[in-house]
Amino acid sequence: MLRFLAGKGVQYALVLLFAITLNFLLPRMMPGSPLVFLVGEDIGFMPAAQRAQIMREFGLDQALWRQYLIYLGNLAQGDLGFSYQQGRPIAEIILNRLPWTLLLVGLSLLLATLIGVTWGLLAAWRRGTSVDLGSLGVAMFFESTPSFWLGMIFIAVFAAGFGWFPIFGAQTIGVPLSGAAWVVDRLRHLALPMATLTLITIPGMFMIMRYAMLAVLDEQYVTTARSKGVAERRVIYGHAMRNALLPVATVFMLNLGTVVSGATVIETVFSYPGIGRLLFEAVLARDYPVIQATFFIVTVSVIGMNIIADLLYPIIDPRVRHAR
Amino acid sequence: MALRRWRLVMATLVAVLLLVPAAGIGQTPGSLRLAITRDEGHLNPYTYQTGYPGWNLMTLVYDTLFYPDANNEPIPWLVRSAQVSRDGLTWTLTLHPNIRWHDGRSLTSEDIKFTFEYVIKVAHSRWTPPARVIERVDAPNPTTVVFHLKNADAGFRLRALADVPILPKHIWESVTTVPAARALTNVVGSGPYMVAEAQPAQFYRLTANPQYFAGQPRVRELILPVIRDATVSFTALQAAQIEANVRTLAPELVAQFERLPGMKVVRGAGFASTLLQFNMEHPLLKDPKLRQAIANTINTRLMVRLLMLGFAVGGSPGYLHPDSPLYAPGVKFEANKAKAVALLNEAGYRDRNNDGIREAQDGTPLRFTLLTLAGNPIRIRGAELIRTWLRDVGIDTTVRVQEDAAIIDQVWPEFDVCKGRRFDMAVFGWSAPVMTRPTALRDLFHSDCNIGVLNIGGYKNPQIDRMGEQLAITVDPARQKQIATEMQKIVAQDLPVHVLFYPDTIMAYRQAGYDRWVFQKGQGIINKLSFVDPPK
Amino acid sequence: MRSNAAVKTTAEATDDGAAARAMAPTVRAPRRRFRLGAVGTVGVLLIVMLSSAGGLAPWIAPYDPDETVGDPFEPPSSRHWLGTNDVGRDILSELIYGIRISMTVGFLAAAVSIAIGTLVGIVAGYFSGWVDMLLMRLVDIVLVIPFLPLMILLAAYLGPSFWNIILVIGFLVWARPARVLRAQVLSLRSLDYVDAARALGASSARVLRRHILPGVLSLSLAQFILAASGAILIEASLSFLGLGDPTAKSWGSTLYYAQVRSAFLSGAWKWWVVPPGVLITAAVLGFAFTGYALEEALNPRLQR
Repeated sequence: MLRFLAGKGVQYALVLLFAITLNFLLPRMMPGSPLVFLVGEDIGFMPAAQRAQIMREFGLDQALWRQYLIYLGNLAQGDLGFSYQQGRPIAEIILNRLPWTLLLVGLSLLLATLIGVTWGLLAAWRRGTSVDLGSLGVAMFFESTPSFWLGMIFIAVFAAGFGWFPIFGAQTIGVPLSGAAWVVDRLRHLALPMATLTLITIPGMFMIMRYAMLAVLDEQYVTTARSKGVAERRVIYGHAMRNALLPVATVFMLNLGTVVSGATVIETVFSYPGIGRLLFEAVLARDYPVIQATFFIVTVSVIGMNIIADLLYPIIDPRVRHAR
Repeated sequence: MALRRWRLVMATLVAVLLLVPAAGIGQTPGSLRLAITRDEGHLNPYTYQTGYPGWNLMTLVYDTLFYPDANNEPIPWLVRSAQVSRDGLTWTLTLHPNIRWHDGRSLTSEDIKFTFEYVIKVAHSRWTPPARVIERVDAPNPTTVVFHLKNADAGFRLRALADVPILPKHIWESVTTVPAARALTNVVGSGPYMVAEAQPAQFYRLTANPQYFAGQPRVRELILPVIRDATVSFTALQAAQIEANVRTLAPELVAQFERLPGMKVVRGAGFASTLLQFNMEHPLLKDPKLRQAIANTINTRLMVRLLMLGFAVGGSPGYLHPDSPLYAPGVKFEANKAKAVALLNEAGYRDRNNDGIREAQDGTPLRFTLLTLAGNPIRIRGAELIRTWLRDVGIDTTVRVQEDAAIIDQVWPEFDVCKGRRFDMAVFGWSAPVMTRPTALRDLFHSDCNIGVLNIGGYKNPQIDRMGEQLAITVDPARQKQIATEMQKIVAQDLPVHVLFYPDTIMAYRQAGYDRWVFQKGQGIINKLSFVDPPK
Repeated sequence: MRSNAAVKTTAEATDDGAAARAMAPTVRAPRRRFRLGAVGTVGVLLIVMLSSAGGLAPWIAPYDPDETVGDPFEPPSSRHWLGTNDVGRDILSELIYGIRISMTVGFLAAAVSIAIGTLVGIVAGYFSGWVDMLLMRLVDIVLVIPFLPLMILLAAYLGPSFWNIILVIGFLVWARPARVLRAQVLSLRSLDYVDAARALGASSARVLRRHILPGVLSLSLAQFILAASGAILIEASLSFLGLGDPTAKSWGSTLYYAQVRSAFLSGAWKWWVVPPGVLITAAVLGFAFTGYALEEALNPRLQR
């Protein structure tokens, strides 16, 4: 454990620092001024002296390295800054949006993994038959479909067309609900974006499970177990699946890291108020602090998930523990 | 088997979702859902974002001394009567009695005095410049305010008195810097509506102020969901998930919406403009004949038909919309391709090396870059059309589509005309308020970058400068019209900008939800008059 | 945006060297039998059909896609099989010419990413040690870079052009292939005869050229095709979001105009939105099937 911290831990810290620096520089290098969003779009009517005054008051005229040091200091204190555009502490904005993304992508990923794993198992078991090949075809079809296209067709058909689901948002606006009605309302708004995201995530999980199962089924010990007369079912569940689940678990955890920026396109299409959409809007609006903060959250998640995966893997797979 | 169990779970989940009433939650009586396009901060004067509809929504919560009526003429609002001295330097205003803030305290002349002094001290892009003309404000008694101006100002009533919202002194006197003002979440105003709930970037809920001095507002509750996506907002309107939309209806949807039962579509002139902006400092484009030739290749009539499906008015070369009060009748532009070719030949632009592109007399080829805003498909299509038409007469144009900030960086660096410009041509546009202020022609065309704050092309004409300065201090409407007419005639000759069209304002709403909207010329139905009658 | 690899091998799924070795494909001598199979055939067929349609565009498209040939928003008719778009241009013609843009972007972006990925994978896998560590950390960093803002940055400086999208996709998408190829190189390097060659004093360059490179090349090709598949999808998403070049008529930009001009509300989506999506899916699928078939052919352990 200590060796891990010294070795990989340092590397991840370097990655984090590099990412933070890059995150800081990138928005700074973009052309254009954030002034329009400090003051609103009427800024055109303001004389230059006034604009300079505002720039001073907001600290935008300081040297780059100065801004960077302030940024680092703030991060260390957990202060994610203040949004020029929204006039709110960014931590508050992110805290408002993050749960929606976690809900959407977390549930979708979970559902996609469960369905994908079961499906992959089935395909591997019936390897070579029409079920297997048909599954591959369907899986690859859904992975080739543009997510935004699928989402918009869902909206056109199920929301605008049949009227079964709401067209936008995460909740019905302005109407106070409680108890079961509250839950159902949230679920109804979640249904279409989740369906879209799940449909395009399942194929990935399916493929990994199927490949892993096929690889493992050829392993010697399975053959040995078979020759000993153990019932085929036990062979599959007992030996093969546990090993095949390893890559699935790893990919699941790595995908979790991309949860917070993952569903940008889908959140945009469904006007779902999550982190992905927040990032997109902030970049278009040149809202520097929000961009920085969201990048930071994304970076931390990815690295965090990498670390968890690294730590858990030896525990799950005893072979690897000793190979280190 | 696990698989079967999962199938059962999925089926149950789907069944639950489908069994829930499909129509969704309907409209509560007395409450109106009006979609807005973006988050407007805390809806107080220092945090709202956009001119339209941000300012209009903010004035539901805060009052101004005057308010623009349906024709954009300022009518008294908080003010009961007003007297202006002969020389235009002293304004004596009497307020209505018994006006209260949402927290119960009285609104007095002290608040007025405080407000105007405040906006000078704590810079605001919209109100600080017009307030600068004020020398001093006196509040001799609680219902009387006296403004002493430094000089006569034609726009004082509209841009200051009918624009600046009155702030409660007891709340704002401790907020002394711009960042603090931008962060203030307090929304206590005196207006017909109070902010009951604000969810960041999601929605606002406004409830009627029962003590409003001008009478009970007509709608009990306003819910303003933020829908950023245009298509989504219209889909929601069509599906009756909202009753009205601040967005102007897209031309391609007009026919369809007019056919919908229960939907009303009102149409009126729009004062926002879409134009071709020239860089007057460009070595080639400083030649007026070339600009005239370029303008003559652009068939604005076809543009209106193709891009706006007929829902726009062709551009006038003097900038002002034909329905605008200072419009000079007779100032028109008819594009003529033959004339364009003749002008180019006459001015010495010929194709000297047979590559299909004309060159100037010194050999410089006529190659230009045309900038246009990403995210505005109509302008992009317009740019493509212009490119095709210019190519037909031997002018090579490359269309560059860029983000707002990148375009501003080249065309209007830091929103400061004094910082120069580096572009050739750009498809640009101004919002409606630019048209309605009487000093529009001065703001757009004066060569001093501190006066002509919208002169992004760098146009210089001393005659225009003189007339613009005169216009700003002329209070007599007839004389204003005279000066404006002369200015428009000159601008139509020089063509520093070539106005393509003015998109109509088309508003759609559900009649069953609310039917007493007031259409403000050139702007739309989102204004205070739609909810409350002017005070007697 | 979801990850672009349509097919994940077990070697790619796990990053850990030991586990990778446990499940890595056994490597045989370079000459192998190449069987395409049904899936691969379908894939190649799709690619060939689309490419030829794109190549023959001037002859098979009924109109010039840049010319206004009808009224705006016309529904499908005998004159316009897929109707007209918001400025009266024929949608079918636009889609046929769009094949060129979309597929070219896909190919070129994939080429850039595989060139980088192969180089990095080989160097990291062969030389090991701190070079390996450095390059793999670089891979991690690249995977962390937020794609969207980088795209906007470059679009703003260089203009939202054709080449920007290619370069940006290429420079961000090389990371995963690099990992896969590195795993392959690791297993190749540990082979007996390679060890022998090195022990006998063969130079690195020689070993790389004669033993490593051939073994990696075919996997590279498979990765290239998979990368192209993902690149087409990414380009479509970017154009749709309005971050691409709207004057270059790719399928993604057709969808962009459809969306901003209310195709979903007016019912025009049936002929304006569905066809481009189908074409995108077909192209991506074609590449994915082909890439998958190639990988199957190269990986005997996964064959039937």
